[in-house]
Amino acid sequence: MQHRNNYTEIEHFLADESFRLWVCFKDDQQEWEEWTLENSSRAKLVEEARLWLLAMKVPADKLAADDVQHALEATWEKIERAEENKKDTEKPVLKLLRKKWFNGVAAVLILSLLSGWLYNQSTSSENSALSYSELINENEEGLVEQTNNSDKPQIITLSDGSSVLLQPNSKLSYPKIFVGNERKVYLSGEGFFEISKDPKKPFFVFANEIVTKVVGTSFKIKAYANQPNVEVVVRTGKVKVRSNELISNTKDELIVLLPNQALRFVRKNLSFNKITDITQDESLSRSTSNIEQLGFEFTDIPVAQIFKTIEQAYLVKIDFPQTKLKDCYLTTSLSDQPLPEKLKIICKSLGNNTSYEMNGNQIIIISDGCN
Amino acid sequence: MKKQLLHTEILEDSTLWNSLKEGNENAFSILFKRHYSHLVRYGNSFLPFPEKVQDCVQDVFTDIWIYRDKLSDKVVVKAYLLACVRKRITRSQERDRIFRLSTSIDTVEFLFDFSIEHNLISDETTASKVSHLNHLINDLPSRQKEALYLRYSQELTVDQIADTLDINYQSANNLLHRALLSLRKEWKGNIFLILVLFSFAF
Repeated sequence: MQHRNNYTEIEHFLADESFRLWVCFKDDQQEWEEWTLENSSRAKLVEEARLWLLAMKVPADKLAADDVQHALEATWEKIERAEENKKDTEKPVLKLLRKKWFNGVAAVLILSLLSGWLYNQSTSSENSALSYSELINENEEGLVEQTNNSDKPQIITLSDGSSVLLQPNSKLSYPKIFVGNERKVYLSGEGFFEISKDPKKPFFVFANEIVTKVVGTSFKIKAYANQPNVEVVVRTGKVKVRSNELISNTKDELIVLLPNQALRFVRKNLSFNKITDITQDESLSRSTSNIEQLGFEFTDIPVAQIFKTIEQAYLVKIDFPQTKLKDCYLTTSLSDQPLPEKLKIICKSLGNNTSYEMNGNQIIIISDGCN
Repeated sequence: MKKQLLHTEILEDSTLWNSLKEGNENAFSILFKRHYSHLVRYGNSFLPFPEKVQDCVQDVFTDIWIYRDKLSDKVVVKAYLLACVRKRITRSQERDRIFRLSTSIDTVEFLFDFSIEHNLISDETTASKVSHLNHLINDLPSRQKEALYLRYSQELTVDQIADTLDINYQSANNLLHRALLSLRKEWKGNIFLILVLFSFAF
């Protein structure tokens, strides 16, 4: 931009942001007032440019934050639909073109599709409610099962660094190590999930009739076999929920949930209910657990207190050298992180000589103090 | 000893754009929230159907996400988005026209009207001058008006205006230049007129 002393046309002024700020918002950081008064021919040009700006107002009709939020949700749903369509149209064509012997295959394919469809039809008419054991049987990979028979929530750490807080009378099945391009776990009962971010490997939770897909976020699922509803409540990030293909052959029932939204699946009639504000829903707001209420935004907080918050949230026990860490304060945001990630961040910010060990519900911090 | 980390900062459009290209959903959401309002307003100046406009803007974002692998990383995000919205609306209009067999074959027309900053005007002389100028601006051919809007309200460069309107640099420059030139001509004449009228009044 040229220097304003060389401005000869109105448009030079119009294009100058500081000039616009001065005229429209009386924000005169560049001392336009003084500069204008220095010279009378300059003043005339400035006055004219000012009139132009006054005559070219664009109304600031900003949409309400709510409306933008709704639009964003609508867009994510459009994206979901478009991605499904893309998958459906691209793949078969490519495969068929590549292989010349597809005639024979097609016949087999159609037969197997037909029998698959018939199978689905029969299973869905017989027992519409999917059970946890049926889901587990669907998965052939070796799974580890953890059951919480105690009266307190239990923390489970998965091989990808995600953590799950499993409530009493609940069980979770998961592979010892995640392989392939998907991470799949199976839940019966209630669990609070904090998933480590990995866009290339989406994380799926199969819980009775619904499948929840995320890439990195935190949310709660409540799917007890003996209760009428299945619920998903989102804390951070974005979560997609659809019904399990085994009970419905319609794929388009896909719902996108954003923070503080929830979904209730009514088993009786296999229908989805989206709850856009969880604080308005009585039964949901009553049943929030510790971890959902506790904040993990810390500003200048003694590290001992941060450990205490984690102990309360995950019902773990943390041992740390109290005297060495007594003058350590942290400012950090840990809301969107699974437990191992939270510990890692704290250790890293305390200094290189700090590390942690985790053994079930027992966590030990090893440190020489903060730097 | 204290330590700061993970501070949320205001990220540049271009930074967000690049993480969007890598599949970051959060970056997508931030860009969406940042630009949605003004894109809808721009769209509304072509189409008097707000719902249809919102639909078009959402479709633009949908395509951006779906084809994020193919996006160029050297774009000015705002200009790119404005251009996409404009194209999308033009295309939807053309489709409608085929179905309705309408006679008009023009591309979309910029129907937006500038208004007046009333709260910054204290005296009557200024008020009458400004209101006159406002009329002159709003009576400009729609393309010229759109160029002025993009230049001074959306703060695009001439290059970016050319991209948005799908014309070359010279044409964009001419549009702006002609707009200002004809305004100034009218305006100069009118200032004279106003002055004459005033001298009569006293």
